Amino acid sequence: MLLYIHIPYCDSKCYYCSFNSYTDKFYSRENYILALIKQLEFELKRFRVKTCNIESIFIGGGTPSTITPKLYEYIFKTLEPFIMSGAEITIEANPNSATLSWLSGVYELGVNRVSFGVQSFNNRKLRALNRSHSTNQAINAVKNAKKVGFSHISLDLIYNYMNDTKEILKRDIDIAFNLPIDHISAYELTIEDGTKFSLTPEVKQEDNDLAFFIADEIKRRGFEHYEISNFGKYKSYHNRGYWQLKDYIGVGAGAVGFKKDRRYYPSINIDNYIKNPLDIREEILTKEDILTEKIFLGLRSNIGIDETILNKDIVKKADFLVEKGKLIKDGKVYKNINFFLSDEIALYLL
Amino acid sequence: MSKKVPQSHIRNFSIIAHIDHGKSTLADRIIQECGAVTERQMSSQVMDTMDIEKERGITIKAQSVRLDYIAKDGEHYILNLIDTPGHVDFSYEVSRSLASSEGALLIIDAAQGVEAQTIANVYIALDNDLELIPVVNKIDLPSAEPYRVLEEVEEAIGLDCTEHSLVSAKTGQGVPELIEAIVDRIPPPNGDETASTKALIYDSWFDNYLGALALVRVYEGKIEKGQKIEIMSTKEEHQVLDLMYPNPISPIKTDSINTGEIGIVVTGLKSVDGLQVGDTITDAKNPTAKSIEGFESAKPFVFAGIYPIETDKFEDLRDALNKLKLNDSSISFEPESSLALGSGFRTGFLGMLHMEVIKERLEREFNLELIATAPTVIYEVEKTNGERVTIQNPFDLPPAQNISKIYEPYIKATILTPTEFLGNIIKLLNDRRGIQVKMDYINETRVLLEYDIPMNEIVMDFYDKLKSTTKGYASFDYEPIGFREGNLVKLDIRVAGEVVDALSIIVPEEKARSRGLAFVNSLKELIPRQLFEVAIQASIGNNIIARTNVKSMGKNVTAKCYGGDITRKRKLLEKQKAGKKRMKAIGSVNVPQEAFMAVLKLE
Ligand SMILES: Nc1nc2c(ncn2[C@@H]2O[C@H](COP(=O)(O)OP(=O)(O)O)[C@@H](O)[C@H]2O)c(=O)[nH]1
Ligand SMILES: C[S@@+](CC[C@H](N)C(=O)[O-])C[C@H]1O[C@@H](n2cnc3c(N)ncnc32)[C@H](O)[C@@H]1O
Ligand code: SF4
Ligand SMILES: [Mg+2]
Repeated sequence: MLLYIHIPYCDSKCYYCSFNSYTDKFYSRENYILALIKQLEFELKRFRVKTCNIESIFIGGGTPSTITPKLYEYIFKTLEPFIMSGAEITIEANPNSATLSWLSGVYELGVNRVSFGVQSFNNRKLRALNRSHSTNQAINAVKNAKKVGFSHISLDLIYNYMNDTKEILKRDIDIAFNLPIDHISAYELTIEDGTKFSLTPEVKQEDNDLAFFIADEIKRRGFEHYEISNFGKYKSYHNRGYWQLKDYIGVGAGAVGFKKDRRYYPSINIDNYIKNPLDIREEILTKEDILTEKIFLGLRSNIGIDETILNKDIVKKADFLVEKGKLIKDGKVYKNINFFLSDEIALYLL
Repeated sequence: MSKKVPQSHIRNFSIIAHIDHGKSTLADRIIQECGAVTERQMSSQVMDTMDIEKERGITIKAQSVRLDYIAKDGEHYILNLIDTPGHVDFSYEVSRSLASSEGALLIIDAAQGVEAQTIANVYIALDNDLELIPVVNKIDLPSAEPYRVLEEVEEAIGLDCTEHSLVSAKTGQGVPELIEAIVDRIPPPNGDETASTKALIYDSWFDNYLGALALVRVYEGKIEKGQKIEIMSTKEEHQVLDLMYPNPISPIKTDSINTGEIGIVVTGLKSVDGLQVGDTITDAKNPTAKSIEGFESAKPFVFAGIYPIETDKFEDLRDALNKLKLNDSSISFEPESSLALGSGFRTGFLGMLHMEVIKERLEREFNLELIATAPTVIYEVEKTNGERVTIQNPFDLPPAQNISKIYEPYIKATILTPTEFLGNIIKLLNDRRGIQVKMDYINETRVLLEYDIPMNEIVMDFYDKLKSTTKGYASFDYEPIGFREGNLVKLDIRVAGEVVDALSIIVPEEKARSRGLAFVNSLKELIPRQLFEVAIQASIGNNIIARTNVKSMGKNVTAKCYGGDITRKRKLLEKQKAGKKRMKAIGSVNVPQEAFMAVLKLE
């Protein structure tokens, strides 16, 4: 069982971001955590989670570093009996709020992996994205995480912003690899509805070369490219779980849970959520939906697609792609050799 | 029920004009002046009734109205006003409307002056011996130059404009005087009232309640309710179920349509097929000796393949075409199957506008999503074995070694242009294989050109080109002048090695190479990158004359974090999939709809 915990607070709103988060609701933090624990208790029952059954936890946002370790302690108290020993427990953190004491506080609670939203080590780009941290803060935050004991540290980068060049991105990667990290998520800027950037979509450039460039540069330095946007010496267990369509609990406003053929959506609105954390919308997935998801998730990552889930028609097409050198076959599993083509291949197969 | 009006008190007149010179507006104004509609009933342009007409401001279907008018002399007159279609595609209807009239108002825009359609329409009117009243419209405009315009008419057409009307259809200025002029100058009909029935069908359409209706002009005798009539070209006999006079609000029933009158004949027929424009109606028991001259069955002039995007909509498309045909006997269609596009219909139209309108109606009124191939003309081919075949689809052209001669349709193009664009136009016409017949300066600033030119060159985006090289200042009209021999070849397009039948075109041999190159390059831009590299070639027979490649796609993915919200990602993918479905898969290559029209826009 996987568990996702959503923290819908941010110090400021980044111009590209459509994740569910609020910059003006900090006063509700305690009540929010109480509501979240209520949902958590409900979900533990609904998902019939047994003792030591939770393999990984991901605390994401929003900005989890806007919540004090003290508040997380309540959540961990509830969770303690269910967490498997050696479980991967990741928290997202923003460099401006992930102070030494915050980092050490969550480390003490058992969090063993931290993922920093760095986006870039270029101050001009950080300002253009409306990030509230600087390059130096990011560097220090990573060093501090290492100092308090984290051995798994990841950072997020964004590319294909308007002014990005190979030089700028190469410098980002150089700096990243001088830090004690074992993982990088490099995301291509996506223009999302409702964001500030959606008013000026030209801030995204369509430079396919940069995607390949960034992947090559990271791989060259020894990280494995194991999903479109993910590279590491260490591969995130939690994310792999999503891509394999394992069951996951999602708690918090804007979280998503999944079990067998259902997806669960608690309220996105934070006030509603606090009032009624069990007001959860349910989506039923058809067999075709699940097959579609298995196919595109398999192609986006090194997980691949197991031949046995495919019908004859699709197998024929997949074999043709193997023949054409677009896929490789590893035992019974079709594997994608160019993650950046995964949507096109999925569309071809489906 | 109105009492019988003597022929001396009837005036049948048409209105002819270049598009936008104010034909419909003036018609509406005359109707209003005669008191047939109140201010409130006057939705703008009573005469244009179809949605598409209102949207595009083009009269497609001619309308007629019967108006009561008390003239200055105190007498009661019947004015039958016959609006004519405003586009070259429907020039046959124009000619039949004119044949139903004794006179015509020739409208010319006071600011624009004589245009190509003005001239073309005048020729048709003169062919029919009509009394023409020159009417300069829009005199309210600050840029109006009515006298200069009248001089142009005299110069370009040789029409005596001493007696003319100056009006503003917009303000109504001059309109009462114009109506008096109609009564004074247009001769009354003068048919033999005792002869057997002889009436011209000058329009027909389908009404959901009444069935097929014919709009007729009675030349001799009369048509009576209950009468057995004969349609002279088909010899078919029908009973007259009802008779009506056209009226702007709703038709008025009558028991007979008398000599010199116009009216609507209700026969209960299920389709307008049996009531073709130009045909003659007579009495079945006592037929007239000779039918009215000038009858021609509507002949499609351009052809295109029309295919449903979803292959299972073929029968729906057939039904829709059948329904449209009930109302428009000029459409022809035959099932056709294409390797590339599946099952559809090779459809014939009167011209380019007619094609656009029909396609739009099929999509709009019948909710179909369609792909149309590039329109082409008809070719006549003499084979080496002596056989003669007619080709409606370029793909069907026999192999070169079996052809001895190919004939293609020509038109006579009339173009009026400000002198400053003359160079551009002549270059365009030369590029399009035009042959100059006439070049007249109608005054120091405007030139009248006449060219013989293959219709195929007109189909290839000629209007748009003409517009863009003359900033819209040149006007254009044409008339078919028969077939002439051409040195033509079939150019095929191969996508990923396969000939795509729907993309074949017939081109002059000397242009084949440059067209082929332009075509493959334009396809290269239109066909999106696919998983594999796609070769695009142009060939004549087995000779590849041009080639290019659509490179394989390098990247198609959204590389963003979705966390557990996988549904969202799935929906984005499904959207992409729906987008691809709207393209046609040729082999495994997705070809967008625009590709099938691309040939029209080649540089
Ligand atoms: N100023 C002015 N505009 C007019 C007059 N008559 C027509 N128009 C305008 O000219 C345009 C074309 O008129 P319309 O009657 O549709 O022309 P048609 O294409 O010949 O039927 C419309 O925008 C009319 O409003 C007029 O006398 N004066
Ligand atoms: C859940 S988000 C937020 C984590 C954390 N609040 C932060 O910003 O540092 C995780 C990552 O998604 C990426 N991201 C968010 N919106 C994006 C977008 N529109 N386009 C590309 N990447 C985006 C950013 O790199 C971000 O760090
Ligand atoms: S990117 Fe992170 S910090 Fe920025 S608005 Fe989104 S969740 Fe908040
Ligand atoms: Mg009009």
